[in-house]
Amino acid sequence: MKIGLEVHVALPTRSKLFCGCSTAETQEPNVNVCPICMGFPGSKPSLNESAIIIAKSIADALKCKIKDKISFVRKVYFYPDLPKSFQITQLQDSIGMEGELTLDSGKSIRIRRVQIEEDPAKIIRGEDHSLIDFNRAGIPLVEIVTEPDIADKDELKSFIFVLKAILYYIGVDIDREIKADLNISLGKERVEIKNVTGTKNLIEAADYEIKRQGELIKMGIEPIKETRSYDERTRTTASSREKETDEEYGYIYEPDLTEYDVKRYPVKTSINPVQKAKELALKHSYSENSILEAIAFDRQALETIEENQDKFEFKTLMQAINEIKRFKVGKLDDESLRMLIDEIAGGFQIDEDVIKSVIEHKKVEHNRVSSSELDRQIREFIDKDRRIIDRYKKNKKLVDYVAGEIIKRYKAQPKEVLKRAKEILDSLVK
Amino acid sequence: MSSYTEEFESKQKPADYYAKLYEELERINEKFNAFNVLVKATGNGMPFSVKDNICVRGIETTASSKILKGYIPPFNATVVDRIIRTGRFSLIGKTNMDEFGFGSFGINCDKPAKNPLDEGRVPGGSSSGAAVATALLKYHVAIAESTGGSISAPAAFCGVVGFTPTYSVLSRYGLIDYANSLDKIGFMARSADDIKIMLDITKGLDKRDSTSSSKPIHRVKHNNLIIIKELMDKVEDGIKSEFYKFTDKLKGLGYNIKTVDFRDIELSIPSYYLIAMSEASTNLAKFTGFKYGFKVEDFSKNYNDFFTEARDKFGEEAKRRIILGTFIRSASVRDKYYLKSLSIRRWMIDKLSMLLKDAFIISPTMPILPPKIEDANRMTPVQNYASDILTIPANLGGFPHISIPFSYSGELPLSAQVIGSHFNDYGVISFASDWEKNFKYKFKYNLGDL
Repeated sequence: MKIGLEVHVALPTRSKLFCGCSTAETQEPNVNVCPICMGFPGSKPSLNESAIIIAKSIADALKCKIKDKISFVRKVYFYPDLPKSFQITQLQDSIGMEGELTLDSGKSIRIRRVQIEEDPAKIIRGEDHSLIDFNRAGIPLVEIVTEPDIADKDELKSFIFVLKAILYYIGVDIDREIKADLNISLGKERVEIKNVTGTKNLIEAADYEIKRQGELIKMGIEPIKETRSYDERTRTTASSREKETDEEYGYIYEPDLTEYDVKRYPVKTSINPVQKAKELALKHSYSENSILEAIAFDRQALETIEENQDKFEFKTLMQAINEIKRFKVGKLDDESLRMLIDEIAGGFQIDEDVIKSVIEHKKVEHNRVSSSELDRQIREFIDKDRRIIDRYKKNKKLVDYVAGEIIKRYKAQPKEVLKRAKEILDSLVK
Repeated sequence: MSSYTEEFESKQKPADYYAKLYEELERINEKFNAFNVLVKATGNGMPFSVKDNICVRGIETTASSKILKGYIPPFNATVVDRIIRTGRFSLIGKTNMDEFGFGSFGINCDKPAKNPLDEGRVPGGSSSGAAVATALLKYHVAIAESTGGSISAPAAFCGVVGFTPTYSVLSRYGLIDYANSLDKIGFMARSADDIKIMLDITKGLDKRDSTSSSKPIHRVKHNNLIIIKELMDKVEDGIKSEFYKFTDKLKGLGYNIKTVDFRDIELSIPSYYLIAMSEASTNLAKFTGFKYGFKVEDFSKNYNDFFTEARDKFGEEAKRRIILGTFIRSASVRDKYYLKSLSIRRWMIDKLSMLLKDAFIISPTMPILPPKIEDANRMTPVQNYASDILTIPANLGGFPHISIPFSYSGELPLSAQVIGSHFNDYGVISFASDWEKNFKYKFKYNLGDL
């Protein structure tokens, strides 16, 4: 099985690719428009150079060969969402060529090309009409084209995850949506599923298509070369019934733009979170997956780990990271982190109050309960339900439940509670 | 100083000068169709006109195409902006042209302009109206545009001075594209000095046109003039003999004249037309009757039919170039036509640059006299395209060139074209200026005289 992807990523520039219009998302249609992105006669594009910096960084992160000079082409086709009836994009002189992305399994997926292009407008389909919103027309995109090296659904999942994580570390947060064309062939011919939006839909579309083609082949039918579209409601793909001729876009050089000397633009050096997770896991004998999950889309988490990995027990540090994520408090300063780690090491439950104290560098208040009061409470709790004793006989772990309930009640010294609960239960069992 | 602009500025104007001029132009335009739009001028500057493929804010700009009927640009072309900002010029109208610049004679539009020197003859194109207006008005400068000879040809046929700068010296922002890598905004006037004034005002880098250049232009005067033998072979005998009288005169003025061979220079014609049509067919793709200009009313149509209805508004030559251009770009022939043409252009630029290192190239501007309208209409497209042989090499290579009258055959002017090296724009203008010290141009009309 061969799966290839053409992923479209919107670049986080403040203005559009060829004009000064804002890229901010807005509900009101056709407000971020001007003669240039509407393609008015006489207007001309001028390139937003911050798009080159981001695209170059992406190409670099995907280990592409980076061209010294890039140029643009016109891809000509008629469609109502295309203001000039051609899209300004790249071809042979794309910013990045022949790169690769390494999956967490270690397998490499080859990248054919990373190219800069403009987004068309958005078509909103109604019952008996269509509306066009040109706010999106001219938003800078990078298209990442892979070779058909992805072998199954899990690799597809992994590819999307790693790609998103790498992009996140360049500052391209595709929280919004990942958009892609999927090429899947189980047989000889290539089937293309166009315009699938969102990771979940991509996986489901692939899943359906793999099954569909598999069943055809089982029945001795060769899947034909075609373009299909994915329907999220039914989670199926359907033939787009387009004529299957070789695409004829009549490419010419974009004569309104010159060559751009890419060497002049800086690269934001990227971090590959998969690689980082591997290194950290190896160094601290810790689960690679847990680390990756913690850092994949959290730059602050990675910083905290890297800065503190030699100061604290790694497991406790990772627990602290997870608490920080749970309460969404951003990055803690050294003092706060030390306090939080003390709490975790002390076995205390972490809640809003603890986090608040830690951030404000205030001593965390714990209810000190006297030993006799603790004993009384534990015994009272067990007396209410004597079956606890029988169950404890069978499963010593039940002590955690008993201690947990008491701790919840008092927010009191957990280690001591656990110790006393065990002693009391043990004495009762005898 | 022999600039009409400065002469105009130094003279007293009656209070109703522009109103009278407007009325006069309205009347005479009935006959000559020089203007697509006449404007009541504001201010008290030198009258200027703008070719109708260059945007002026708030004024209908159609490039003489029915598909752009009603298009009112919300912005000024950079060149127009820079001229208006000086306060020295007053806009009097938008000038007629071959639709989108597609033509050498000015006949490819609804109401073709006529040659003021002989109404039965074409004025030349595609900047037909600019040349006719310049031939009619005593005090006036024209912003025109050339892709393959659209300034030189009509300037020559109407007996005015026509200047096309080095590609990239003038911003193209606001120009409705014909072939972007070849289009150059330029000027027509009654003297070289007026052209220099316009160039000084408008030249230079524009952030809105990425292909515009900040390189300074210079003024290198050469005493060496080169005649290319293969180009002279294409010139009608009558014009040829007059041209050699002119070069004899130049010898007398101290110039050295040398004839050189340039084999395959005629390859510039297919190279030019293939590039121009390729780019034109993509530029015209945006006209879909949708957002500006001619609008299709019936929104119930599917989009193929909708677009087809709009695109039926193109004239015949526009349709021809769309079809040919689309074919040239198609994958099966792209290498052989489009990419090959780009290499020929590269080669032509290198070869011409060598020749122009210490010389100007000089030739008649047009190989023929302005044809009669009915003869022009009978010509095949290939005959049409072939008549551009003298103007295409400079245009294909983006070299600055100027067309100046050097003699008259009865009423009809004979003009020569002088080509300089890249960025030697002032050089060719000063050649023309020097010529004007020895030769007085004849003008049949002097509307707006003071």
